[in-house]
Amino acid sequence: MKSQQWLTERTFHHSNFWNIKWLVEEKERQGLSISLCLPTLNEEKTIGQEIVILKAELADRYPLLDEIAVVDSGSTDRTCEIAASFGADVYIASEHLTEQGNYPGKGENLWKALYLLNGDVIVYVDTDIKNIHPRFVYGLVGPLIQDPEVHYVKAFYDRPLASSSGLRPTGGGRVTEILIRPLFSLFFPELAAILQPLSGEYAGRRSILEQISFPVGYGVETGMLIDIYERLGLYAFAQTDLDRRIHRNQETIALGRMAFGVLRTFMSRLKREQLVQFQQELPVTMRQYEVHDREYRQLESEIEEIERPPMIGVEAYRQKFHPEEQPA
Amino acid sequence: MSGSTQTPSLPPTSVAMQTLERIRGFPEALVPMRERLLANLVMIAQIPAPDGKEEQRVRFLLDRFVEGGVGLAAADEAGNAVGQLPGKTGERNILLVSHLDTIFPCGLDHNVMVEADRVIGPGVGDNALGAAIVSLLPSVLEHLGIELDSNLILLGSIRSLGRGNHEGIRFFLDNLSENVDCGVCVEGMQLGRLNYFSIGTARGDVTCDVHPEPSRSYGTESALVVINHIINRILGISIPNRPYTVIRMGQMRAGVAYDVEPDHAELGLEIVSHSDEMIDQIQGRIEDIVAEMSARHAVEAHLDLFFRTRAGGIPFSHPLVKGVLEVMRSLEIEPDQGHSPSELSELISRSIPAVTLGISHGERGRKRRPDYVLIDPILAGVAQLVGVILAIDEGACGEPPKGAAE
Repeated sequence: MKSQQWLTERTFHHSNFWNIKWLVEEKERQGLSISLCLPTLNEEKTIGQEIVILKAELADRYPLLDEIAVVDSGSTDRTCEIAASFGADVYIASEHLTEQGNYPGKGENLWKALYLLNGDVIVYVDTDIKNIHPRFVYGLVGPLIQDPEVHYVKAFYDRPLASSSGLRPTGGGRVTEILIRPLFSLFFPELAAILQPLSGEYAGRRSILEQISFPVGYGVETGMLIDIYERLGLYAFAQTDLDRRIHRNQETIALGRMAFGVLRTFMSRLKREQLVQFQQELPVTMRQYEVHDREYRQLESEIEEIERPPMIGVEAYRQKFHPEEQPA
Repeated sequence: MSGSTQTPSLPPTSVAMQTLERIRGFPEALVPMRERLLANLVMIAQIPAPDGKEEQRVRFLLDRFVEGGVGLAAADEAGNAVGQLPGKTGERNILLVSHLDTIFPCGLDHNVMVEADRVIGPGVGDNALGAAIVSLLPSVLEHLGIELDSNLILLGSIRSLGRGNHEGIRFFLDNLSENVDCGVCVEGMQLGRLNYFSIGTARGDVTCDVHPEPSRSYGTESALVVINHIINRILGISIPNRPYTVIRMGQMRAGVAYDVEPDHAELGLEIVSHSDEMIDQIQGRIEDIVAEMSARHAVEAHLDLFFRTRAGGIPFSHPLVKGVLEVMRSLEIEPDQGHSPSELSELISRSIPAVTLGISHGERGRKRRPDYVLIDPILAGVAQLVGVILAIDEGACGEPPKGAAE
């Protein structure tokens, strides 16, 4: 069974890559450059800690990272000030590639990071992590440095496969277990082996990231997985256990909106691949309900899931990264 | 820290002008290390380390020592983190110590927040910052291009606080095969702190247990009330103005519910004094009070003083004190001379000249505000520490001149 074999061969633990000195040497031997992208929106409570630790350990002590950048969605707190004070490059997403317009959402930041950052490998790490540790980065870039066949590495957390009391479930989040994994099992069974497909930490080679479109909202992680899978197959992926991740928990109602956005991205992929057909366009309104003093109210959220096209198609990007391919 | 004393005029410099000039450049030279220092602070602060559970912090320090090129790095028999950086001549042994334990239990959220100007979290100043600096000191010396003649012994001590009663450093000093010529205790706060006098301290608990037997002839149902009587009697103990003496009652534990009178209560207190005899006298008075209350209210009440340091110090005229003051002056750090209940007493009581220094400004959690340390002063604090090590390396730990006033 291919996915079982992949699971065995391409599932790592961050401790497999503890020798950061070796990673740096090998990175330099391969002539790779690595950029860290931290997408932010009002993360003043955690951003300082993330930058201090990742810069100190993976740029100052061991030069694994060539660039640390915050790409911000318009924070109204002190996120950008704090990030800059500890030496990160700070970009406001709306101020760059302005000819392409601007959309709110984490995916927008990740997409623009491809243009703003210079690395051959881009590492994306969410900025709500309370227990940040260098493993969140070296655990993800390790498989890329170690194996040129790996193009994209996804994080997962805790120890999902075995415990002293025997086997236990994989420990994906609620949206993963009741929405994403069933959908993958139905339409892309091999991708079901990715233990936490919605985790916010992953690293990829520019050469593949520039080829795929980026949903700007909730669907960015799911969209990336499906699009890379369709281009390169399962063996382009690896996944790394980063142990524990402490972060804010989302309320169920927020997860519902997230699930709606992910589902829309999923459906658009199914439609594109002609795996399903819809008689009409899917609605963009998510309906939820709340009760207060015996009064029932309907809450409506517009969740459009706009997609950014592959960055390779953007003129400014091609000029910056592929000038040799420009017409004379 | 207790109140400062006025700084008398300094005798001629004991640290070479060239060295002081070099020290003035350290804060600027340390700027590239700022994030590494802060990262160490954050990572250490996030490791819970209540008394007796410091193993993970010890491991962290040892890893840092090894990464910093310390050849001899290991945990000693007591569990302290020990690193030895050999000097060029090895004619002196300088000990740098920071305690690793904290007052915070493992169950508390130890995650740390880094703002633009401060680091916030449990125990960041006492003593994660001190431990962070000691752990990174080999790398700091390398970065500054400093090679010492003296051997540098780095110690992350365990079981310093509370019932630990300096167990880690006591073991280390009692079992070290070499002599320590000079010691520096590194505390996170406050920058400018200069302690060369250890105040005598006795800390402990008064416990009170009420027996529920109906045969009790008379007395109270509540251990809390009995503790209250004991507190009132302790407050009645007359304290002399000199020698400086204080009784602090800082902790109280009793009860589980509004409607249940507690059958157990505890009072945490400390006696501090410049005089060990005064501490002994007050201890005797409190023991009498507790015994009397125990009998009068038919309860089991006891005094258990489990932490004790002796009063003592080195004179102001000691070359070490002079050297530290000159280093502080060269960095424009305002000295705040007072006494300290830290590991200093263990060094002083073994006739090892020693001082306690602070690294930054900040606050220990009071009135429900979290602990914090300021980021900006840290580089000056580290520069000061390195400067003092250089001064000691050049001889500022010898005996004071004969006839010098204490």
